[in-house]
Amino acid sequence: MERSKNVEWEVKNSIGILTLSSPPENYLMEPEFIGIEFLQNQIRHEKVKGIIICGAGRHFSGGAKLDDLFQMAKDRDNMTRQLEKGKALLDYIEYLDIPVIAAIRGVCFGAGLEIALTAHLRVCSENALFAFPESNYSLIPGLGGTERLSEKASFPQTLKMILKGDMIDVKEAREMKIADYIVPDSEVLDFSFSLLIKMTEGRSLKVIHYVMLALMNTKHLSMQEAMKEETRMFCELASEEAERRNNNQDN
Amino acid sequence: MSLKYKTISFELVHDIGHLILDQPPSNKMTIDFFSEFHHLLDGLHSMENLKAIVISGRGRHFSAGADLDQLLSLVRHESQKDSGGETVDLSSFLEKNYKTFLSLEALNIPVIAAIRGVCLGSGFELALFCHFRFCGEDALFGLPESTYNLIPGIGGTSKVSVFSGKSKALELVLHGNTFSAEDALGFNLVDKIFPKKQVVEMAIGFARMITTSYNKEKAKLYLNKLL
Repeated sequence: MERSKNVEWEVKNSIGILTLSSPPENYLMEPEFIGIEFLQNQIRHEKVKGIIICGAGRHFSGGAKLDDLFQMAKDRDNMTRQLEKGKALLDYIEYLDIPVIAAIRGVCFGAGLEIALTAHLRVCSENALFAFPESNYSLIPGLGGTERLSEKASFPQTLKMILKGDMIDVKEAREMKIADYIVPDSEVLDFSFSLLIKMTEGRSLKVIHYVMLALMNTKHLSMQEAMKEETRMFCELASEEAERRNNNQDN
Repeated sequence: MSLKYKTISFELVHDIGHLILDQPPSNKMTIDFFSEFHHLLDGLHSMENLKAIVISGRGRHFSAGADLDQLLSLVRHESQKDSGGETVDLSSFLEKNYKTFLSLEALNIPVIAAIRGVCLGSGFELALFCHFRFCGEDALFGLPESTYNLIPGIGGTSKVSVFSGKSKALELVLHGNTFSAEDALGFNLVDKIFPKKQVVEMAIGFARMITTSYNKEKAKLYLNKLL
């Protein structure tokens, strides 16, 4: 188990579990809450097939601590740098070629919610609460939360959540398409873990990468281009599968 | 008027084309099927009194999808011939298939999949390129490709992502599990569920109802006509 910047990381059955770990609220000390390089190395060396992001104890994360934030804001250049690093980390997570699930219990606010929105799937406790409270302090979400929320929720829903700054429950979160699964509080982690296992066990890393890539393509390419890419990937996988079958026959 | 192929039958009844995947029980989509399907679609463009198409499977099932062994043999030998006597390799085969599906989707008349029983893999992909999907309460859907260390080959990932959102698509494609008609409705992958004996009949009735002044861009609005 690794520990850096109040985050714990362990790998179990090829699933990486990243725990935001400064309970009870799991406030984030800095926007880059775990090093990209560290994550990259772990994923490569441990052949990680999926990642769960969760919080230690009862909550996911309360986001940034206001005092820390205003302290950081005294040095504007430094703050810009920190935010850029945080954004790079969140982009890195969103574009990972393995599935990432956010397992959300309790409070998921501000930067915590921004992290959760980078995940590819969100499994939420019945008691989970979501908010972008930034506007209450005359701020806006600083790590891409507005953009990522509006990709899922409608424009009015996004506007309301960010400008009003109120808390919403899982029911409303589901309507906004940011809660993919709602499960009893005690089952959030187990459910997330077994879902990832079902999605990755027995699949080669390449198949997982290609499914992720095919999905990313739907965002950036036209239908026709995406399908062309899909064909290319399918042929490559089929060649390998055919070869495996040939080898099995020879043996 | 009717057309008979080896793997498909097509009958024009009162201006509605009944296209039946005709290799029961599982209506597997073989190399011959795709070749004939392509040929049939080409011909439909010039069929003036064709006002709608309803696609269904002969017997209890829609289709169990592509014939995997045959597909993989395209990789191994690269010398398969289709029913037209043309040599096919996997890459050009798949490319032709997705272009065929895109041209089905591009038709300006209603194209309705009437799905009973099993609808898997490329069978499901075919249904996803139709303008409407009606299914029986017994229908069973899935994209099982990843369990064979493959991915859906004819647009399945993109289509599911458009209809159900990226998160659900990721799960369905990677997990590769089958799911029920009710789930499919919840994931926005089918439009309507009927008792299985009524599916084809309802699809034909619906086709009749909407053929005049059909506007594909507003396809989903026509569903309001169904009570």
